[in-house]
Amino acid sequence: MFSPPVNRLITELARLPGIGQRTAQRLAFHILRTPEEEALALADAIREVKEKVGHCEVCFNLAVGPRCRICEDERRSPELICVVEEPSDVIPIERTHEWGGRYHVLGGALSPIDGVDPEDLRIAELLTRLDDGDAREVVVATNATTTGEATALYLADAIRERTPQVTVTRLASGLPVGADLEYADEITLGKALQGRHAL
Amino acid sequence: MPATFQTEAVVLRSIRYSEADRVLHLYSRERGRIGAIAKGVRRVKSRFGGRLEPLFRVDLLLHEGRGELYTVTSAETVDPHPSLRERRDAIERATQACDAVLRLLDSQEPNRAAYNLLCRELRILDGDPAAASRAQALAFRLKLLLAAGFAPELAACASCGEREHLSAFSASAGGVVCPGCEAGSFPLGSEAHAFLVESLGRSLAEAPSASDRALGQADRAIAETLEHHAHVRLRRVA
Repeated sequence: MFSPPVNRLITELARLPGIGQRTAQRLAFHILRTPEEEALALADAIREVKEKVGHCEVCFNLAVGPRCRICEDERRSPELICVVEEPSDVIPIERTHEWGGRYHVLGGALSPIDGVDPEDLRIAELLTRLDDGDAREVVVATNATTTGEATALYLADAIRERTPQVTVTRLASGLPVGADLEYADEITLGKALQGRHAL
Repeated sequence: MPATFQTEAVVLRSIRYSEADRVLHLYSRERGRIGAIAKGVRRVKSRFGGRLEPLFRVDLLLHEGRGELYTVTSAETVDPHPSLRERRDAIERATQACDAVLRLLDSQEPNRAAYNLLCRELRILDGDPAAASRAQALAFRLKLLLAAGFAPELAACASCGEREHLSAFSASAGGVVCPGCEAGSFPLGSEAHAFLVESLGRSLAEAPSASDRALGQADRAIAETLEHHAHVRLRRVA
């Protein structure tokens, strides 16, 4: 229906997550309408990010160069490692300004139903890192989902077996600030009760 | 057909979708395997909370739109299986059970026996730490085969009807076979045969135990039956 370059743009845009054919078409026409320098800036940004950004060789967070800025920061404690599923999970933890340790990005969560097994994640790299490093605590901050919990339990077993001197902890679960009690599900509220603290 | 309907269901699988949504694979009591979208469920303050996580048994209000997926408008917990979620082996077995249901029963036809079986398996895994065993998982799969209409013949030779000397299993024949009909079969010891028979005969909570060798043979018999008759390939139960 459209000329081949426009068709190609629509096809490429439609590959993006959450973008269907119709949205891709709308975006393509938006790009065609925008000034040339703006459209080329988008193309350059995509090219640059693909050329320059890779994974940190230590923690597998996103990095420009061999190591990410957190692994290169001498002020960050190598004794504390926070394990997350994806690089995007690092950002909300950094936003808290509560974490002074480093990270390890697994690249997903265990999910046999989706064919994701331990060898598909960077679990072996984490265990090697614990063998070689000074870590004394691993905080498992995988998502509070079924797959995230399964991953946390697997990691706890594997770390306890291989490096028993390292303490494994899990992020606390409970009510989000500002939420109404009546909407809390049973598991969340149950965990909030288990984790109650003295005032 | 009403635009909105209520059903009880088990969440089999959950896939991230869009900014904060999830696509759910559900096995429902009233409509069999269905897909639904839960909008905004990944947000911390979602009104669904954790109720739409896999392995939850929930009472749902679903809206039927124009697309293939229903939209979840309300969810109430029937059984969250909280203990199950604290043990890795139990999560693995429960996930295997959901995977088997997901692949074997893929139509929107209600199958009350299969639904009850899945609910019972999750409740057993939640209540009894010792239940997360290979034997229990195989007993579940065999009963699921029965509920789906693919149970193998175990009482007599599936080819000629002979009732003695049943020492092999042939998925293409449809069950155990005698020495005279054993072409294309594999050896099935008496312990494995007894395990299969008792698994079908007993309740799920009283699944029999057997040696690793017998369980391996039973696993192969179940897997080959699934592949041959239902065209479903499941991971072996380790």
